Amino acid sequence: MAEVILKDIRKSFGENKVIESLSLSIGSGEFVTLLGPSGCGKTTLLRMIAGLEPIDHGELFIGGKKYNSISPQHRPIAMVFQSYALFPHLSVRSNILFGMKIKKVPASTMEEKLKWVLPMLRLEGLEKRLPKELSGGQRQRVALARALVLDPEVLLLDEPLSNLDAALREAAMEELKRVHHQVGKTIVYVTHNQVEAMSMSERIVLLNDGRLEQFDRPRVVYDSPSSIFTAQFIGSPAMNMLNGQVVMKGEAVGVDTSLGFLTLDRERESKARALLSREVVAGVRPQNISFVEHSISRRYSDTCLELTVDLVESLGDRSLIIARGGKGTILRFLITREADIVPNQKVAVFVDGRKIHLFDTQSQTNLLP
Amino acid sequence: MDRRNVPLGPAYRLVWIVGIIGAIFLVVAPLFLLFKYSVSDIGSINTGGAPIPLWPHEPTFRNFLYLFSDGQFYSVLLNSLIIATMTVCFSMLIGIPASYVLARYEVPGRKFVLIGLISVRLFPDIASVIPVAELFIRFNAHNTYWGVIMAHSLLALPYVIFIGTSAFEPIPKDLEQQAIVMGANRFQVFSKVLVPLAIPGLIAAAIYTFLLSWDEFIFAYFLLGLGKISTLTLYLKQKLAFAPPQNLLAAISVCLSFPVILFSLLLQRYMTAGVTSGAVK
Repeated sequence: MAEVILKDIRKSFGENKVIESLSLSIGSGEFVTLLGPSGCGKTTLLRMIAGLEPIDHGELFIGGKKYNSISPQHRPIAMVFQSYALFPHLSVRSNILFGMKIKKVPASTMEEKLKWVLPMLRLEGLEKRLPKELSGGQRQRVALARALVLDPEVLLLDEPLSNLDAALREAAMEELKRVHHQVGKTIVYVTHNQVEAMSMSERIVLLNDGRLEQFDRPRVVYDSPSSIFTAQFIGSPAMNMLNGQVVMKGEAVGVDTSLGFLTLDRERESKARALLSREVVAGVRPQNISFVEHSISRRYSDTCLELTVDLVESLGDRSLIIARGGKGTILRFLITREADIVPNQKVAVFVDGRKIHLFDTQSQTNLLP
Repeated sequence: MDRRNVPLGPAYRLVWIVGIIGAIFLVVAPLFLLFKYSVSDIGSINTGGAPIPLWPHEPTFRNFLYLFSDGQFYSVLLNSLIIATMTVCFSMLIGIPASYVLARYEVPGRKFVLIGLISVRLFPDIASVIPVAELFIRFNAHNTYWGVIMAHSLLALPYVIFIGTSAFEPIPKDLEQQAIVMGANRFQVFSKVLVPLAIPGLIAAAIYTFLLSWDEFIFAYFLLGLGKISTLTLYLKQKLAFAPPQNLLAAISVCLSFPVILFSLLLQRYMTAGVTSGAVK
C-alpha cells in the first residue's frame, strides 16, 4: 500500500499534447478510477505510472519515493492490461508464477501465494489449463491473480472488464470490489465506462482531452458536476442542456430558456441573483423531470412545461421520453412504464428547480456548484 | 459458417479428386523413378533396346551396399552434416536477433533492408558465386569448413530473417510489456516470452537452412572444388565425372534426398500456426 502523487505531469506525442499539466494525489489503499472518453489520456497516464511511457515533465511519487526515471521492472506496481496479456504458451499456474520466478521468490512462498490467490479468484482446478482453454471471465481473473501475487504497492488496471459481456462484467465488478476490500491495495483503474467508475471507485478522476475535469467521490461528481463535460459524461441518459439567461420573474429567480422560464430553488436564490442577466447553460438530468401524473405535490421550484412527445424508448423498468417544446427544443425525461404515453401526445412535466445546474457559456464551469 | 461443412457437388468432387491425384503423381513420379533406379540391377537399365521396365527385374540393394562400403562416402556425409549443422547455428545466431529487431523496432530503412535481403537471392547462384568466391579466396576462406559455412549462411540468412520476422511480428506487444512490468529484463523477455512463442517459425527456418546447406552445390563447388573437404553433393558430381552406372548415382541421390523428405514432413507440423491464440482477448 502506498499513495501515488502526480505533480504537474505533462506528456505529448510529437505535436500532440496528451496530458496538460496534471496533478493528483491518490491516497494509500484508495480505489481511484481514471475516467474519460477514448483519447483523453487516461491510459497514457496509467502507462506513465507503470513506467511504460516516459514522463515528459513533472514528478511521480509512489510511497514518497520519486519514480520518474526508474524502469518499470523496479517499480512497486503490477498491471493488468486490457488484453490481459496472458502468456499463451504457459499454463495458468505458470502465468501466475511468472513474475515471482523472475523476482526469484522462494518456492515455498510461491506455493503459499498460489494457495491464497487461486480460491480468492475462483481459479482452483484450472491451474494446468492454457489461456486458450479459458473463458473470457477466467482469463480476466488469471490476469488479476498474476498481478496480485506480486504483492504490489499499487495495482494498475487498464480497462480490465471491457472485453466481458454485460452479465460477466457485473460479476467481475463485484469481485474486484471484494478483492480490493480483502487486499487493501491502492488501485488505479482506467475505464471509459461511467457505470464501472461510479459503482467501484472511491474517487473518480475525470479526464477530458488531457485535462483534469474533476476529481471527487462518485456521488459528488454526479450531484455537482464541475463542468458541462462532466455533467454530460456522468449519468445515463445524458443530462439535458438548455441555453438561457438568468432572469427574475416576479419574485422568482430562474433561467429563461427556449422551453420557457425555469424557476430555481429558494436555497440558491441569493447566489443566483448575482448571476442576473448572465448567459448560461442550464442542465437538468432526465431523472429530475417528472411527468405531471406522477407528481403528488408541486413544490415552489417545480416548473411546469407543456411538451409534445416525439419518441418513447423502453428501458425495461422505465421509459425514456424524448419530447419537444414550443420552439422545437428537445427535452429527455423518464417515466415509469405504467404511464401510457404515445408519440405526438401532449404532456405536461415538472422540472425540479433544486436540480438545475447552471454552467457558464464561456468557461463551461459550474456557476452554482 | 465453416466452409468445410458445405458438401461439394458430385461434378466438383470428381474434378477435385482427379486434380489431387494428378498433383500427387507429379510429385511422387520422379521420387519413384529415383528409388526404382537405386534398387535396379544393371540388366534392368541396359536393356539393349527393350523398354525399361516399370519395376526392376531383380531388385537389389547392391548399390547401397557398395556406397556404404566406400570410406569416402562416410567422410563426405560427415562433412555435409557438419557444414549444414554449423550453417544452421551461425545463421540462427545472427538471423534471430536481426529478425526480432526488424519485427519490433522502428529501424530506419526497414523496408529497404528487407527488400535488399531478398534481392540477394534474386540473382542466380551461378552469377553471384564468382564475386563471392573471389572475395573468399582473398581472405583464404576457400578450402575451409568455415568458408562454406559462411557462404551457406549468406544464402540462408535472407530466408531466416524473413521467416523469423514474420514469426516475431504477430506476437502482441502487450505480452512483452506485461513481462517487463513483472520485472523481466530485455533478455528474459526475449528468452521466456518471445522465443517460445516464435519457436514454430524458428524451427521452420532452421530446417529450411539445414536443407539449403545440405543440398547446396554451386557455392560448395566453387569454394571447395574437388579439394580435401568434400560434401555429399560434390561426391555425387565427382562420381558423375567417372560415368558410373545410373543405379549407383540414383543410390547417392536417394541418400541426398532422404533428409529433405524427412524434414519436409517434419516442417509441415511446424508450419501450422495458432500458437499465439488465447494471448489477447
